[in-house]
Amino acid sequence: MIKLTKNDLDKIKAAHQDDGRDWIKVGMSTCGIAAGADKVYALFVEEIKKRKLDIQIKKCGCQGMCYSEPSVEVRVKGLPDVIYGKVDKEGVIKILDKHICGNTLVKDSIYELRTKR
Amino acid sequence: MTQEENKIMLDEIASLVSKWKDKEGNLIMILHELQNFYGYVPRPAALELSRALHTPLARIYEVITFYNFFKLEPPGKHIISLCLGTACYLKGSAILLNEIKGLLNVEEGATTKDGLFQLDVVRCLGCCGLAPVIKIDDKVYGKVQKSEVMGILSQYNNHQEESVK
Amino acid sequence: MDQKIVFIKDTGIENDRTKDYYALFLNLLRENSLEDQVQINRVADIGIYNQGLVVKIFEQDVIYANVKEEQIKEIVLKTIKEGKVIKELLFQSPPKQLRIVLRNCGEIDPENIDEYIAKDGYQALNKAVQENKPEKIIEELKKSGLRGRGGAGFPTWLKWKLTRETPEAQKYVICNADEGDPGAYMDRGVLEGDPHSVIEGLILAGFAIGANKGYFYVRAEYPLAVQRVELALAQAYDHGLLGKNILGSNFNFEIDIRLGAGAFVCGEETALIASIEGRRGTPRPRPPYPSVKGLWDKPTAINNVETLANIAPIILKGGDWYAAIGTEKSKGTKVFALTGKVKNSGLVEVPMGITLREIVYDIGGGMISSKGIKAVQTGGPSGGVIPQEYLDTPVDYENLQKLGSIMGSGGMIVMDEDDCMVDIAKFYLGFCVDESCGKCVPCRIGGYQMLALLDKITEGQGKLEDIEKLKRIALAMQKASLCALGQTAANPVVSTLKYFFAEYQDHIVDKKCRSHKCKHLLNYSIIQDKCKRCRVCLINCPVNAISGDKEQGFLVDPKICIRCGKCYEVCKFNAIAKE
Repeated sequence: MIKLTKNDLDKIKAAHQDDGRDWIKVGMSTCGIAAGADKVYALFVEEIKKRKLDIQIKKCGCQGMCYSEPSVEVRVKGLPDVIYGKVDKEGVIKILDKHICGNTLVKDSIYELRTKR
Repeated sequence: MTQEENKIMLDEIASLVSKWKDKEGNLIMILHELQNFYGYVPRPAALELSRALHTPLARIYEVITFYNFFKLEPPGKHIISLCLGTACYLKGSAILLNEIKGLLNVEEGATTKDGLFQLDVVRCLGCCGLAPVIKIDDKVYGKVQKSEVMGILSQYNNHQEESVK
Repeated sequence: MDQKIVFIKDTGIENDRTKDYYALFLNLLRENSLEDQVQINRVADIGIYNQGLVVKIFEQDVIYANVKEEQIKEIVLKTIKEGKVIKELLFQSPPKQLRIVLRNCGEIDPENIDEYIAKDGYQALNKAVQENKPEKIIEELKKSGLRGRGGAGFPTWLKWKLTRETPEAQKYVICNADEGDPGAYMDRGVLEGDPHSVIEGLILAGFAIGANKGYFYVRAEYPLAVQRVELALAQAYDHGLLGKNILGSNFNFEIDIRLGAGAFVCGEETALIASIEGRRGTPRPRPPYPSVKGLWDKPTAINNVETLANIAPIILKGGDWYAAIGTEKSKGTKVFALTGKVKNSGLVEVPMGITLREIVYDIGGGMISSKGIKAVQTGGPSGGVIPQEYLDTPVDYENLQKLGSIMGSGGMIVMDEDDCMVDIAKFYLGFCVDESCGKCVPCRIGGYQMLALLDKITEGQGKLEDIEKLKRIALAMQKASLCALGQTAANPVVSTLKYFFAEYQDHIVDKKCRSHKCKHLLNYSIIQDKCKRCRVCLINCPVNAISGDKEQGFLVDPKICIRCGKCYEVCKFNAIAKE
């Protein structure tokens, strides 16, 4: 990697702005992993590959909601951003079936609402 | 210690010392790496380290014994870390501690006679939302009830090979 | 097909299973043939608590709270169908949380520096090195009013200024990430979620005080945090944000990582310095302060993780922006690890001046069980308990101190009626006794003696004079200990004595622990009316303290009983009384 100079920061910033793609974000800090976030992440990766979905899967740190770990935030165009909590294997499948493929939110699993659409 | 083991040890220490020798305050970092390698700090290794660093053995032991993290005894096959942080304590981890002590007939910081389990008490694993928490090796068990302890431990008792990973 | 999206949450009435509001909504939608146009979602949490039925209609971005059953129809007809807002039902409350330190936690991938840069990361550093006026940074911090978040609350700008002004060519900055307070994990959250924000803060600290070398002292018990910081440092070096000529300027700065090894006392700055130097982590008398004589006797500024994570936003947005948040003497926000008997444990970041009640009830969602709140503990083993009658106190450094607690690093533990205050005091003191480095007498011996007295009291052997002894030793520790660990170790005892003296009295005079925590003070007996004579308790008693037969009934002999509670657990008929 070339050493950055002052203008490069802005370039990186511009290159990483929201590209409008849908994404799934899994909280992967100690508490999340302890509650099983690593398995949830792996299952998402596997299923997305299997179903050939056009969606990004990302890792992030702690959202601060330890009581609802593992937590997964989902953005799908046309639907509000939501954070699902206490996601297990079945939860992953539900999120994929309903939210990502079916364009409906998964009821009873939403722990926080983000705005956007 | 066999000759071969001795050679491995000398090589390991030589490489650690050459990696860290130019950095100030390196002793603790070298001990960390040594413990990563052996699981504890064996006396022959401490002796060799003293020679290689030109540091009195007493200085090395002074540091090892001061910090809770460093161990002088080989660890048990499975390390149980029982959290006694405040959140876990409030939710009954002291009861779990007594249960484990009773079931395994082992004291805090000690290893069972068969070497299968080591019982460590730790202050906060940082999973307070899951309190009370027990960690065995790298696996974390959250919201543990006293009645579940036996079942958790027995997974490690029988088919050890499978349950490790 | 663009559906309207509605969220409902029946908060605070979860136990009332007779009301199925979800079905009610569905029926109403069907009656009005709206079911295809509306997607209705029952959610597990909506972030609003104790406000009855909450309905959020996504299109209009309105939230209705305390909705009554009969008002649901009105919502469906007016708001959902016609898009009109019903003013009387509106729930308007500004968000309680404000995220500065946790701004990127849970937002970005902590293992990807570009995502941090995309969130204005390293812009503050860029601004600083291009302007090249280190004094201006300190000036900006002074305006911001930022105080150290490690516990004591020393003004950050002053620490930096003193270090800067000490004449010496070699200076150091240290990030104290040896978070040892049991039950607190704010720093771990930041290091695992957004390590670059702390690194940028540390580089800025180095720039401001004129140091070219920084150390990251991280707790070894946080392997994931260590790994993420190591990775982040490597990326920063790769990008030329560390090393020589940072961002094309003349500023050179390096950061090395050092691991702690499980010693709580190493959170004290002189002990931490000793540990980085590769020695036992024992404190030394101050002055000289580290700002004059620190690491390897060179001027050193030590800052906590949370403090450093605040620096970049302050430099970018200005000290005045930061100073507008918080109270008169405590500016900005504070991250708390909210745990214990609260419904939603987790990390919260709130502006200074918010009340404890708002944190526990509006953010934490209230208590986990129906048991009443007894106290909130802040400051960990160095802090104290705040009883529930003071829950409306605005949280800042001064107020907490007035109440006999401290801000501390940010542990906030909620306790309910089941928690015995004598036992809690003993728990914290036991922690400090374990962690005392043993260098100075008041801490080493005082702590041990106090613990012995508390043991006596919880075993039912205490005398009223013991209280005076506790107070005397506590005073000696506070006045004469070498470092903050010893000076504050008695705080949990002092504050529980102040607010919960009656509980000590119960233990000493009546030999009772009303929370049933101190097992030596418990008495098990068999409630004859409920007993079905099944003998399960008798069979399970490990010391044969239970005797009797099916005709006569059974009795527990308190002289033999070891209070293990086995009989209480095994009885299926709740026929064992514990008091």
